[in-house]
Amino acid sequence: MSMFKDIPVEVGVIYEGERIRRNDMQVELGGPTVKEKFELAKVLPMDAVEDGKITIIGPDLKDLKEGGAYPLGILVEAAGKTLDAGLEGVIERRIHGYLNYIEGFMHLNQRYDVWMRLGKKSFQKGMNSFEYIGKVLYRLFKSELPIIEKVQITFITDPAKISAMYPAAVADYEARDSKARGLKDSEVDTFYGCALCQSFAPSHVCVITPQRYSNCGAISWFDGKASASIDPKGPVFAIPRGEIINAEKGEFSGVNEAAKKRTMGEVTQVWLYTAFDHPHTSCGCFEAVTFYIPEVDGFGVVNRSFKGATVNGLPFSTIADSAAGGRQIDGFHGMSIEYMRSKKFFAADGGWNRVVWVPKEVKERVKEFIPADVVDKVATEEDATNIEALKTFLKAKNHPVVARWEAETAPAVETAAAEETVAAEGQMMPVMTAASLPIMAGGFKIILKDAKIYANKVIIKTVKDEKAK
Amino acid sequence: MTTKNVRVKIDEMKTNSGLIKNLELSVGKLVQDNYNEPMGPTPMPSMTTLRDWDMKLLNKYKPFYMPDCDLCCLCTFGKCDFTAGKRGACGLDIATQSSRIVMLACAIGSACHSAHSRHLVHSLIEKYGRNFRLDVGGMNTKVEAPVTRLVTGIKPETLGDLDDVLTYVEEQITQVLAVGHTGQEGCNLDFESKAMHVGMIDHVGMEVGDIAQISALGYPKSDPEAPLVKLGIASVDRTKPVIMCIGHNVMPSVGIIDYAKEHKVDEQIEVVGLCCTSHDMTRYYTRARIVGPISWELRFVRAGLADVVVLDEQCIRTDIYEEAAKVNAPVIAASEKNCMGFKNRTNDPADEIVSDLVSGKVQGVLILDPEKVGEVAVRVAQKVAPIRKRKNVLPSIEELQQIAKTCRQCNQCQRNCPQDYNIPAALKAAAQGDMSLLTDLYETCIGCGRCEEACPQKIMVHSLIVKAGEKAMYAENNLCRSGRGQVSDVEIRNVGSPIVLGEIPGIVAIVGCSNYPKGGKDVYDIAREFASRRYIVALSGCSAMSAGSYRNSEGKTIYEEFPGGFEAGGVLNVGSCVANSHIAGAAIKVANIFAKRPLRGNYEEIADYIHNRLGAVGLAWGAYSQKAAAIGAGFWRLGVPVIVGPHGVKYRRMLMGREDKPENWEVLDARTGNTVNVGPAPEHLFTVAETKEECMVAIAKLCIRPNDTWKGRSIKLSHYVDLSKRYLGVMPNDLHLFVRTMADVPMTMKDEFETILKANNWKETIIPDPTMLPRMVRKMKE
Repeated sequence: MSMFKDIPVEVGVIYEGERIRRNDMQVELGGPTVKEKFELAKVLPMDAVEDGKITIIGPDLKDLKEGGAYPLGILVEAAGKTLDAGLEGVIERRIHGYLNYIEGFMHLNQRYDVWMRLGKKSFQKGMNSFEYIGKVLYRLFKSELPIIEKVQITFITDPAKISAMYPAAVADYEARDSKARGLKDSEVDTFYGCALCQSFAPSHVCVITPQRYSNCGAISWFDGKASASIDPKGPVFAIPRGEIINAEKGEFSGVNEAAKKRTMGEVTQVWLYTAFDHPHTSCGCFEAVTFYIPEVDGFGVVNRSFKGATVNGLPFSTIADSAAGGRQIDGFHGMSIEYMRSKKFFAADGGWNRVVWVPKEVKERVKEFIPADVVDKVATEEDATNIEALKTFLKAKNHPVVARWEAETAPAVETAAAEETVAAEGQMMPVMTAASLPIMAGGFKIILKDAKIYANKVIIKTVKDEKAK
Repeated sequence: MTTKNVRVKIDEMKTNSGLIKNLELSVGKLVQDNYNEPMGPTPMPSMTTLRDWDMKLLNKYKPFYMPDCDLCCLCTFGKCDFTAGKRGACGLDIATQSSRIVMLACAIGSACHSAHSRHLVHSLIEKYGRNFRLDVGGMNTKVEAPVTRLVTGIKPETLGDLDDVLTYVEEQITQVLAVGHTGQEGCNLDFESKAMHVGMIDHVGMEVGDIAQISALGYPKSDPEAPLVKLGIASVDRTKPVIMCIGHNVMPSVGIIDYAKEHKVDEQIEVVGLCCTSHDMTRYYTRARIVGPISWELRFVRAGLADVVVLDEQCIRTDIYEEAAKVNAPVIAASEKNCMGFKNRTNDPADEIVSDLVSGKVQGVLILDPEKVGEVAVRVAQKVAPIRKRKNVLPSIEELQQIAKTCRQCNQCQRNCPQDYNIPAALKAAAQGDMSLLTDLYETCIGCGRCEEACPQKIMVHSLIVKAGEKAMYAENNLCRSGRGQVSDVEIRNVGSPIVLGEIPGIVAIVGCSNYPKGGKDVYDIAREFASRRYIVALSGCSAMSAGSYRNSEGKTIYEEFPGGFEAGGVLNVGSCVANSHIAGAAIKVANIFAKRPLRGNYEEIADYIHNRLGAVGLAWGAYSQKAAAIGAGFWRLGVPVIVGPHGVKYRRMLMGREDKPENWEVLDARTGNTVNVGPAPEHLFTVAETKEECMVAIAKLCIRPNDTWKGRSIKLSHYVDLSKRYLGVMPNDLHLFVRTMADVPMTMKDEFETILKANNWKETIIPDPTMLPRMVRKMKE
């Protein structure tokens, strides 16, 4: 490990996920028993950062009593010519990944929730100073994020100093969040595409915009920006947004071009804010899937961990199967949970005003982003487990979709189910024995005399009655 | 839903459009088909349908023969000598003969599983009817029979549908067996292709059997939290009468458990199992106990722990009857495949059979009705236990020392020991009162008893080992997760992003028998190492038992330490031998669920997908049987690499890639049609590891695939390098073959890699959309 030869323990990806139990720990930093703790990344001007400087304010690891829990603040200050404050969140989240590469060091959560443990064994090997932890962070930041030209790292264990810095850190997180959530697709000139999933689903490509997370929920527009600038040849790439072709549906010329290129022409038109006509494609690993319920002209949503049947009687696996594989399926849409917090969440279809059924767990998670006038009108599995009950519920609550029912008297919505063609079974050759078998169409008589028809196998397909619902 | 032999006869019918006279319509089979997916190109493939695919694999991984025997004595022209390139009377040479034996072994293995499945399906149809609906995973498992759908194009919905699948399976096995006859096939690659064919068929046969029993017998259904069940000799309550079932077919055990429950004596007796039957017993009834893998047979019987021994089928010691006789334990043979020379008493009244067995008038009986087996076994156990009083054949420690003194140190035992254990030294020490070496042997002995057969002094070596290890034996009280069955569709979807992002570096399937080179601890260590590294570890059969037989520093078994789901760091027990099909099934589901690749009769495309994308490796650390050979062959055809322990060389040939031949590692990029060299990923299709350490490094390396994202590749390489340094003490010398762009380099090892890449004249390449099938190259649509 030449890169870390002066570090007393090993540093490697394989230590990620290592757990340190209470009995094995030297000290705990942050965590549930410590009120104030934080980690924060800041982008500063070039001359405000001294590259490689590591500062420790307060007692160092070797001065902390074994078995105790202590407050900790980690401040990472970075500078770079192409670095901007919009990447602070991305830089900050790397702290978690990098610290977990240290043998015998555990890092959980982020921001004001951080919880770290140093194992006794690593402490005994000489891992007794924040200086080492700082060096690991410094080297990984420099080698992994070349856009960072200078970085200095500060560890604060002095409670008074932490208390002094804490409110500013919290204010920073809030400002960052509101800025991120406030950033609109129309305000940026670049979106990002992600083709990571193509390793397993070769025809899928994700479009990531400020108002639309990747389907898997793992990559925000900021993450995309960071990845694309770090590794321009990598699977996350910039998509020049191009012209706005249709602001309501979310059609952008750059997105269409990128989709066409990356899907080998399979997908030529993408509408980002709707589940109809040209919806965003769905990969295999989306967090949740939206499904259109024709009976109520609204959307249901189901996430992966929902175990039972949804309101239309189908479980997640079946609904997911209708959407997956990098296809555009009218009325079905794989997506992230975060997208449900976006103002552009199916904006063209009515957004939350069109959502009628969501598992309780998901509803709780996104509750504060559901408009106040619909939040109680969206059913969960506790309110309705079948379409009839759902109709009753929606009517009773006067959900916005009810108004649509009255507007459309005729059952105008055609079901999107794929047509079932009875496939001709090429291999099946019925053997017919008859001297002559004059079967003719168009007014002629058909005469079968002494006919013998043998078949090894006859396959009968059930053709679903579309109106039977 | 299937109806057979439909006949319609119309003497005369007048309609508006015509006249029909004497119409006879005869349909051999009427199939109601609810499988909406269009039929793929290769439903129910014959022996040659997928031959081109096999040849692609066999060209990349050329067979490397290690004949165990230079002679053939199968026909009466022989014996023929194959040494020094000679051909036999029929024209075969050593390569063709070796591949022929491989093929025959796979056919026997496949026949064994399929015959087992046939018996299950038969019995269950008789009990529950043809229309009994299959249910293997409730709502979250839509793809209920991935292997069957892929190979046959049938989507089975009822027990009766499985009947049709088996008909195809049986035909194929017969065809392959026929090829083993003298004077058929003259090219080793054709024998190899047929071995793969019958291996593929084996997975269908296994799947049929397991989904039948999961559905009809109420086993756990794709359940990550399937109950933890007791495992080990000490988990057996020795104060109660003990019925011990050995083998693989659960039906007689079901008879025993049902009878005991019905007569409310289930709490008063112990129903325990050895080998795969025990897995299926616990899937049916959580109070059943798993004694251990097949290698525990002799120790359990000789220690006098079994009051009644019930034999069903497969992997049973065929001399177990004599062993049981020595401790006065009656034997019931319960399978047509395994009659053991006993008189068939199936139609005799139970009272008579019970009385004959209890009185010792007969030592064993054949009963082919599982329900009758249940009644007889339970009643005999209750009556025999107080008479036998745990009679055993183990010597006392004093006797042991005296017996050890009769050893002449001729070394015949060691020469005959498959593991080459130093038994003479252990006996020498024991003769002087030091039991430690014998005690050590208890941990590693595979219980074959060949030492005793070889001993000119007739020393019961195995009994001495068991006596010396008695303390350890009566401390074996562990836990195994009951076989969970398939991996659900939702679990597959959940691992999508962690596999793509590299958080899950691979899937390791540790399967098969207990013919381990150094005891079951190796299996535990390997499973734990990879689960800790957040690989998915799937286990089955005797390996699943061995993995559960050890505890960590906190006293937890591996099934308590790690979650039971198909997830990062999950340790799953899929079930018995026939449940191995679910591991192949999970791989197939990945292609179907992530990429929406059609399954139905679409074998080649799916195998191409799995081979080039899914970082899965099979490990049969203690492989011994023909069934294990067949299971392996089924994985090869899917393009999944298999590693075997040192005894695996006796399978006579390996399928090894040549790292040094770049021309072997070219694939097509489906996006462009260009040929791309992707390096040896995976390097081998079938290989041997000599030690646990070598094996772990090989597993990490064989998880590498051409489609890896840079993040996935960098994590895979981190594990490969770390395991190699940690266990072999060296930096691998082939890292440059696995780096495509600098982003593939593990971030904490940049400096080291840079030096290696420079020294090897490395050049950047691309990550393709890999395929070996030209038809998969996509055309740009305008």
